Amino acid sequence: MSRVSRRHFLKMSAALGAGLGFSRSLPAFARNVRLQDTELLMWWWGEQELPGLQQFVDDSIAAYTDARIEAVLQDTSVVISQFQTASAANEAPDIQYLWNGIYHMESVWFGYLEPLNGLVDQTVLDVSTPTLLSNYGGNVYRVGWYPLPMVWYYNKELYDQAGLDADNPPKTWDEFLDACDKLKGAGIAPVGGGIQDGFWGEWYLGHGLVQNLDSVGEALDLFIGERDFREPKYHEFWTKLEELVSLGFINEEMSSLELYPGIDLVVTGQLAMGESIGSRVPADNAALNGNLGVMVMPVYGTGALAGKPILDVQGLGISSQSDNKEAAAAFLEFLHSPDRLTAFWETTQWMPSNTGWDASVIEDPVVKFMWDNWNLGENIPYISNLVPGQFYTDALLPNAQEIIAGNRTGEEAGEVAAQVVEDWRAFNPDLLENYQTWGEDLR
Amino acid sequence: MIRTRNPIVPYLFVTPLIALLVFIFGYPLVKIFDFSFRRIRGITGPWVGRENYDLILDHPLFREAVNHNLQLLIAVPILIFLSLLIAVVLFDQVKGWRIYRTILFIPYILAVPIVAVVLKNFLQFNGPFNETLRSVELDALAVDWIGSPDYALWTVMGVIIWRELGFGIILMLSRLLSLDQETLEAAELDGAGWWQRFFYVILPQMTGVIEFYFVVSLITMIAAVFSYIYMIGRGGPGTSTMVLELYIYNFITRNSLPGIASAVSVMLFLVTTVLILILFWLRRGAREREVG
Repeated sequence: MSRVSRRHFLKMSAALGAGLGFSRSLPAFARNVRLQDTELLMWWWGEQELPGLQQFVDDSIAAYTDARIEAVLQDTSVVISQFQTASAANEAPDIQYLWNGIYHMESVWFGYLEPLNGLVDQTVLDVSTPTLLSNYGGNVYRVGWYPLPMVWYYNKELYDQAGLDADNPPKTWDEFLDACDKLKGAGIAPVGGGIQDGFWGEWYLGHGLVQNLDSVGEALDLFIGERDFREPKYHEFWTKLEELVSLGFINEEMSSLELYPGIDLVVTGQLAMGESIGSRVPADNAALNGNLGVMVMPVYGTGALAGKPILDVQGLGISSQSDNKEAAAAFLEFLHSPDRLTAFWETTQWMPSNTGWDASVIEDPVVKFMWDNWNLGENIPYISNLVPGQFYTDALLPNAQEIIAGNRTGEEAGEVAAQVVEDWRAFNPDLLENYQTWGEDLR
Repeated sequence: MIRTRNPIVPYLFVTPLIALLVFIFGYPLVKIFDFSFRRIRGITGPWVGRENYDLILDHPLFREAVNHNLQLLIAVPILIFLSLLIAVVLFDQVKGWRIYRTILFIPYILAVPIVAVVLKNFLQFNGPFNETLRSVELDALAVDWIGSPDYALWTVMGVIIWRELGFGIILMLSRLLSLDQETLEAAELDGAGWWQRFFYVILPQMTGVIEFYFVVSLITMIAAVFSYIYMIGRGGPGTSTMVLELYIYNFITRNSLPGIASAVSVMLFLVTTVLILILFWLRRGAREREVG
């Protein structure tokens, strides 16, 4: 047996250690080399509602070195259909922009989307708050990108003129009616907006129906037939709308104005209160010189979800057909890195959907209020995002428009909704099982 | 010139064009008929027989859409009457008639979305139209033209007439300008008044173009009003302006049921085909009358 000198032993140990270290770093090295050769196709949307997002996407792609990314901005009308058609033809992009709820769940049911749990870092998934509506069958299908708090606006100047406390907007329905009465008495249109294009009715259902629900899944029961819109508690929100119309609290031109011109009425001091969306707050509050207030819809309901802030979140997903799922996941994680979150705020002046983001850069107190209450506080998802398309076009939009026009009562709206749900079930017997499964995720 | 006695050769020349037409029009048509008997999810689905047709015919919204399309047919006689009337007035070459002709044709060359957006703003409850009415003490007429389910369909019809009228005027005027002037002068020399010349000389010679415009307008009101409806109110307020084309569109885009949309498309196709056949039949009759 040959003797091994100390020097020889140390040399061998060093060589062995270096070899081991090198061999351990090989997979990471190989992965990096592979990723650098990777090309990803990303179809996205959002510049239309969040100016500056295009710049953020371009900058992020330029800053990302692990893969080459081609980003294509989609037209609003084809965000869903283009992805589904491409998937059916096996030509789907690696990364796809996804609206929440049913707007991406159908693609999940077709098998076009990859579950992200286990693929994207769980911490990133959690802090991005894709909301409950991205869950199906125990899996999560989106990474949150940017939040859309669903809010009610009120004009503090008009509150002051009517002798109301602008720092304490109404919390209950009775307080709300009292405020409307005082505003009307001061010659100010109390509440409303524009519903000519129908979308105000969508937001209203999102704010109103939840007030008598104990869980989000309970809303799905209305569509799978276990509950019925004819029950008063499920159409009470339309009855409340009818009440506002009958009391003359709705702005008179609401039926002929579209959603956004209707919101402008609050900002221009022609209307005291109305529904809006959080992403408008920075500009609208600046236009009002800091006199814009946001609140949740005043509470009349008795459900566990009543009075809670509603948070919708836009997100991104990965195609099940992608050959580079890991690379796509790595890019989605990159978008949530601290540097990218800072860049998001700088280019869009809007919050990223990431609860770990350093929000100290927010200067506007109303935006900060939304961040603390809608994003970080206990929130609920926007349930208009889970109604079937047929219900959306045949009941949700028409009911609100007809009630505002004074042509339909809340109870009649419930009857119409129940009838449309029955029609939907007849047209879509194959979707019922999916809805039932989804309901389990939402309880 | 190529001379051949082989009867097949001419057909060979047109074969590429026929193949192209079959590919462009025939294939989609066959697929639509096929889809109408399937529950399509994505790009295919199981055969369901006539279930889609049964569902549609039982669907109250479908019947409402058909009803609205039928109500829009009221615009057809209005279009014919107005276009004929204005064309005849222009034909009389009133002072500045060429300028009037151009002005009247302008709406027709404007894109429907532009027309819809402009008129929608114009007709808002507190828009310029109602403000004008209020300023002349006609408050009772200042209704919610686009926001009320009671008026919305009639407002859309008014917008359609306003824009489509230009085509009718030009069509009628073209025919008037091609009439035999000697006949008209002879009637005038014989002492025929304006109305007599119109009813006994002009109108009989206009039958062909009126029939053509009648059928084209019918088809427009049944199967070509989508852009107006979508841009003005997307079928609303409520479902007061829901028409068949929007019904089809909703089932494709919002309801993800192309099979249902295809079944309605097949019905619409058959109806318009029948109307076109009627047009051909009327035209043949008109030609025979002219030859006779």
